[in-house]
Amino acid sequence: MPSPLVRKFVSPTSSETMPPETVRTPAPPAMQGAVVELRDLTWRPFGRREPVLADISLRIEAGSRVLVSGPSGSGKSTLLRALAGVLSTTETGDLTGSVLVDGSPASGSSVALMMQDPGDALVAGRVGRDVAFGPESFGMARGEIWSRVRSALACVGFPYDQDHATSALSGGETQRLALAGVLALTPRLVLLDEPTSMLDPAAATVVREAIIDAVRASGATLVMVEHQLSDWVHEVDRLVVLDSAGRVSADGPVAMTLASSADHLAAQGVWVPSVAAPRPLHVPRALCMPSRAGLAGFGRPGSVLVAAESVSVVRGARESVMSANQRAKPVEALQDVCAEVRAGQCVAVVGPSGAGKSTLTALLAGVDAPTQGLVRAGDGLSHGMGRQSREVVDRWTSLALAAGFGWVPQQAEQVVVARTVREDVLSTSRRLGLDDDAAQARVDALLEVLGLSALSGVDPHFLSGGEQRRLALAGAIAHGPSVLVLDEPSVGQDRLTWSAVAGVVVAARAAGVGVVLATHDPLLIALADRRITLLAGRVLEPETDPLPPPEQDVLSTVAPAARRFAGLAGRSGPLSLLLVSIMLVLGAPFISDLPTALAAIGVQIALAPMVLGIGALPWRRLMPGLFAVASVSFSNWLLSPGREISSGALAGLRVAFFVVPGVLLASRIDPSALGDHLGQRLRLPARPVVAAVAALHRFEGLGEHWDQLARIRRVRGLGPGRSPLARGRSVAALTFGLLIETLRQAGRMAVAMEARGFSAALTSAAPRTWAEPAPWRSDDSLMLALGLFVAAVPILFSHM
Amino acid sequence: MTQTRSTKLPRQNAGTPRTPRTTALATRPLMRWRGIDLITAAMLAVAFGVMFWGFDTFIYPILSTATAGFPPLGELMLGVWLVPAVVGALVIRRPGAALFTELVAANVELFLGNKWGAAVLLSGVLQGVGVELVLALFRHRRFGVVVAVLGGALSAVFEIVFYEWQSYVGEYSSMWKAVYLGCGMVSGAVIAGVGGWLLVRALARTGALNAFPPGQEVRESHLI
Repeated sequence: MPSPLVRKFVSPTSSETMPPETVRTPAPPAMQGAVVELRDLTWRPFGRREPVLADISLRIEAGSRVLVSGPSGSGKSTLLRALAGVLSTTETGDLTGSVLVDGSPASGSSVALMMQDPGDALVAGRVGRDVAFGPESFGMARGEIWSRVRSALACVGFPYDQDHATSALSGGETQRLALAGVLALTPRLVLLDEPTSMLDPAAATVVREAIIDAVRASGATLVMVEHQLSDWVHEVDRLVVLDSAGRVSADGPVAMTLASSADHLAAQGVWVPSVAAPRPLHVPRALCMPSRAGLAGFGRPGSVLVAAESVSVVRGARESVMSANQRAKPVEALQDVCAEVRAGQCVAVVGPSGAGKSTLTALLAGVDAPTQGLVRAGDGLSHGMGRQSREVVDRWTSLALAAGFGWVPQQAEQVVVARTVREDVLSTSRRLGLDDDAAQARVDALLEVLGLSALSGVDPHFLSGGEQRRLALAGAIAHGPSVLVLDEPSVGQDRLTWSAVAGVVVAARAAGVGVVLATHDPLLIALADRRITLLAGRVLEPETDPLPPPEQDVLSTVAPAARRFAGLAGRSGPLSLLLVSIMLVLGAPFISDLPTALAAIGVQIALAPMVLGIGALPWRRLMPGLFAVASVSFSNWLLSPGREISSGALAGLRVAFFVVPGVLLASRIDPSALGDHLGQRLRLPARPVVAAVAALHRFEGLGEHWDQLARIRRVRGLGPGRSPLARGRSVAALTFGLLIETLRQAGRMAVAMEARGFSAALTSAAPRTWAEPAPWRSDDSLMLALGLFVAAVPILFSHM
Repeated sequence: MTQTRSTKLPRQNAGTPRTPRTTALATRPLMRWRGIDLITAAMLAVAFGVMFWGFDTFIYPILSTATAGFPPLGELMLGVWLVPAVVGALVIRRPGAALFTELVAANVELFLGNKWGAAVLLSGVLQGVGVELVLALFRHRRFGVVVAVLGGALSAVFEIVFYEWQSYVGEYSSMWKAVYLGCGMVSGAVIAGVGGWLLVRALARTGALNAFPPGQEVRESHLI
C-alpha cells in the first residue's frame, strides 16, 4: 500500500537541500521498541476529589502492541498523556508513582503521541513542513530533516507531494499526515488515542493499515486507546481494561481478557466484537411529537415536509490570512440534487467522505442556502404557516425555522446555547412561546430518558463527548420540530450514546417527524426507510454506473500570483516588505505641510510601477484604507482650529502615505515565510514565532466555526433578529462560543506540539532548527533602500 | 467570585483554608513560558483577529457613519481593539502576554488586509506595552478588575498619544485632541478593561481556562 515513489520536492526555496533524483522509499530504520514501566501511577487533577488514574502498575515489553480500553471517563486518554510525558501540559494536579520509558522518565523524541482529531496536530500549511515540525524541534540539520520527512511520508503511503496544501486534505489523509509527523522522530514508543474514531470506514481502514505497517516495520512498542475493539483485536497482543475509577480491571492476552470481560465492557458502552449490536433505546413517542401535530391538515404520514429542487452548492474560498500567494478555486459541493423529506419517514444520506452529505443535510435543515435551485417547505410543513411558508426555507426567520426544524451538526459539542443542561434544552421551546409547563415536563422526561437528568443543573461545557451528543439531540427535538436532521450522529460514539441516537430516530419517525440522517454507520442506515446515495456531489441512481469523481484541485496546487511582471515587491522576501511598510508609518508624522504631502505621494506614485509591477490594483483590498483616508480628512477638517480645507487634505494625505503602500505590500507577505525570517534573520525567540505561525493556520477553521455557531443559533430560534441590541447580544454569544472552542483547540494543539518536542530546546542543548532557509537577496536590499528613501522624502523635502 | 483584593502568593495562603479568594499566579520563573501559554495566547489572538475582521466588515462602517457628525465619538470603539491585550494578560499572567497577544492579533489584521496597513503593528506594540506597564507596576501579582481597567485605559493613552494624535487627528485643535483622548480612555477602561475582565471570568467558569491561573481560582473557590 505505501506508494513506491516519493515525488520530488518542488519548493524553490529549499531545492538546495533536495537531491535532484527521485528517491525510492527507504526502509525505515530497524530498531528496538521501548520497554515501558508504570509503577503505582496515580493522577488527580486539582479540583477533583477522585483520581482519574489510580495505582496503575504495568510493564510493557519492547515491541509489544497493547490495546487499552474501558468506559468513557476511565482515564484512557490520560494514561496515554502520562506515557507521553505531557500530562501536565493542559492540567495541573497531584502526580505520584512513576512512568519509565527504557528506564528513564518519558521525554524526548523516543515517544510519539497521535491524537483523536486529525486536525489537532496540524501546524503548517504544507505537508512537508508539517512533518518537519518534530525534527525541527529537536534541532536536526536541514538535510536530516528533509530525509526524515521523505521517509516518514513514504512510510504512511502518503499520496501527495511535500508541497501539497494541508488545508486540502481529507480527514483520513490528515490523520496519515499526523502519523508521518510522529514517525519522523523514529519513536520507539508509539501512542495512539482513538486514531480512527472520527473517520469514515473507508478512510479508517487506510489509516489503520498505515499504522499497522509503520509500527511493524519500525519495531516500535505500541500502546493505543480505542473503544471500537473489533477492528484492532487481531492486530494487538494484549488488552488492558480500565474501570470507571481509573484502575486496571483486566489485563492479559486479547482473547483471554475479552472472554472474561466482554459483557462487562459492552454494558459500559465499549464496542466489543463478540457482543450483539446494541438496540435503540426506548424513547416514548410523545417526547418527539411535533408541536404542530394537533393542527388541522398537518402532515399526514408520507406528505412532503421539505423538498430540495435541483440544488447546487458552489463554495468560494474563505477570506484567509494565508492567501498571500495562492488562489483557491471554488468547489462544487453539490450538483443538481433533488431530495425530499416526508412525514413519518427516515431518509439516510450516504456516500463516501466529501460526497456532499453534510452540505445536503444542512440545506434540508434550512441552515444553508443553495447556490442554485430551491429548498421549499412542502404542504405537510407549510400548512397554516401563512406568507412566510412560500419563501425558500433559508430565508425563513430564525423563529419560523426553529418551529419547523431540528438540526444537530457533526460537531455536537458546539451546540451549547445556555448555562445549564436543562436551560439549554428548554431554550428553543421558550423562544417559540410554547406552553411552559408542558415544555418543562417534556424536557425533564427527555433528559431522564437520555440519561442526563442528574446533569440538568450542570454547565453543558463540562459534559463528556457522548453526553454533549445526547444533549444536542435533546435540544433539537424538545420543542417539537417537524423535521429532524442529524449529521453523522454516531461517529466516535460508544454503545450507550448510539442507543440514545437510534432511540430518538425511531421515536421521532413514529411520531410523524421527517428524519434525515447523514451517516456511514450501517446499523443506523438499517433503520432508514429510504436512502440517498451521493458521490462527488451528485445523487447516485441505483441503476447508473458510478460517475468518476471530478477533478478536485482546490488549493492543492499553488497558482503563482501572477505570470506578468510582478515588480520588485513580487521578488522581495517577507522581511524587506514588512520593514518598508513600517518605515513608511514612521515617516508619515514628518509630513507637516501640503507641498511636502503632495511631493511624498508623488514620489510613491512615480515608483509604484517599478515596485508593484504593472497590473490592476486590488481595489477590494484597498477600499477600507481609502475609506479610512476619507474619514480622517473629513474629521480633521471638521475639528481643526479654523475649519481649513487644507487641514483635512493634509491629514488625509498623511494617512494615505503609509496606508496605501502598506496594504499593497502586506498582501505579498506570506506569513509562514515571515516566521522563518523572523526566527533566522532577526533571531527572535523561536517558540513564540512558531506558535504564532501555527495559530495563524487555524484562522480559516475558526472562521468556519463562527459560521457554524451562527447556524446553530438560528435553527434553535436564537438568531440575531432586527434590533441592534439583539444583534449585539448575538455577536457576544458567538464570540464567547468561538473563544471556548479556541481555548479547547489550543489545549489539544499544545499536547500534540509538545509531544513533537515544541519545548524540547528548553531542556536540551540543541536549539530549534528551521526546515526552510530565509534568504536575503539583492532584491530585498534594493527594496529596503527604496523604502528608506521614500520614508525619508518628508524630512528631505521640508529641509530643502 | 474568583477575584480578590489579596496580593499574597497562594503558597502563603495555603495554611489558611478559610480565605478561598486568592489570586492564582503563573508558575515560576515568570519569564519561562510554558508551551501551552504561547500556543493559547497565539490562538486567542487569532480568534480575536476573526472577530476584528467581522467587526471591521460589518459593524465598524455602520458605527463610523453614525458618528461621522462628531468623529471623537468613534473613538468610543477603540476599546474593542484593546481587548486581546487585556485578555491575554489576565489569562497567561506573565510578562509579555499582553504584548504578544495584541501583536499576533495585529498581524492577523495585517495579513487579511485592513484599513491602516502596517500601522496596525505599531498600534499593536503601543497597546500591548500600555497593558504591560500596568501589570509590571503591580509586579504581576494582581489581576483584578482594577488592574484590567487601568491597563485598558493606559493602553488607549499609548495608542492615542504616540500614534493617533500624529496620524489620525493631527490637525485637530488641542481641545478636540483632549476630547478624543478622553473618549479613547473611557472606551479602553470600559470595553477592554471591564469587558475583558468579565470575559476571562466567564471563560474560566466553563472550565476552558483550567490550565491557567483563572481556572485555578475557579477550582479553589469551588473546593471550599
